[in-house]
Amino acid sequence: MLWRALLLALGVLAAPAVASGQQLNLTISPLLVTFPTTDPDTAPVLSAPPVTVQYRVRGNGNRPWLLTVQASGDLISGLSRIPASAVTWVATPAPPFRAGTMSSTQAQTLAAGNGNVNPTTTGTVTFQLTNSWTYDAGLYLQTLTFTLSTP
Amino acid sequence: MNTALVTSAVILLAVVVIEAQRGITVLLVNLPAQARLSFSTASVTFPDADPTSTPLVASVPVDLTISVRARVQTNSQVTLTVQSTDDLRSGVTVLPASLITWTVTGSGFTGGTLSRSAPQLVGRWTGSGVRVGAQNYRFENRWTHPVGIYSATLVYTLASP
Repeated sequence: MLWRALLLALGVLAAPAVASGQQLNLTISPLLVTFPTTDPDTAPVLSAPPVTVQYRVRGNGNRPWLLTVQASGDLISGLSRIPASAVTWVATPAPPFRAGTMSSTQAQTLAAGNGNVNPTTTGTVTFQLTNSWTYDAGLYLQTLTFTLSTP
Repeated sequence: MNTALVTSAVILLAVVVIEAQRGITVLLVNLPAQARLSFSTASVTFPDADPTSTPLVASVPVDLTISVRARVQTNSQVTLTVQSTDDLRSGVTVLPASLITWTVTGSGFTGGTLSRSAPQLVGRWTGSGVRVGAQNYRFENRWTHPVGIYSATLVYTLASP
């Protein structure tokens, strides 16, 4: 019984052995992205300086890989909120990168592909904020999490 | 014992399969308090009229459209006032600024009487936003007004405490 259980466990472990050989690397910079301060009449859309995404996928065979981004919540300044969906992005190169709209409830695909990405490859993401007179004045912050995975 | 071994193997499997790398960046948006005030015209005129048939002369154009755009702290008040820099003057002849009154259209806008001594409220709102309304100026016409071409400058002030 013990041997059977061990063999079963080893057999299950053997299946993702290739997966265990996967190596994913992801670097995002800069850590802080600041939108310019311009009134909505002059700039209906605010564009932040580009974010550089460096990524590498190894040992992935021909399986898919996925890079997502998700906000931890709305942009917050005290009691004031700007919905995360007011943030959109454009990204290059496309493909594998794609434009999208930020969400705080679901990870959004930033890039996707198959196989390996080697050597380290760089993408550029420019976040944009729909500017509006209806926003409260304030200093808003929110964290974005980028996730590189092999689903 | 057997159960413990199997459990350990399953947990290890989960760690291997859900392989992902994460990175973060922080978005920072600084939205300072800002305001913008615009008018459909820079001047209005009251045409000559018979005081008996036209005791209140409407301005030309009738509507002075005002656009108020303000970005302020949460629930802060936004006020728009107007004040005449002086009475109506034609050379040495003076007519009181209070001969000019206005009515309004638009949410938050309010009617009033012009003054040279104190700013008069034109509109009041709460919080950020765009508000558009119109002022309709009227001049109180009397036979006693001396003949002349009178003028005055009005100063509008958009403020939030």
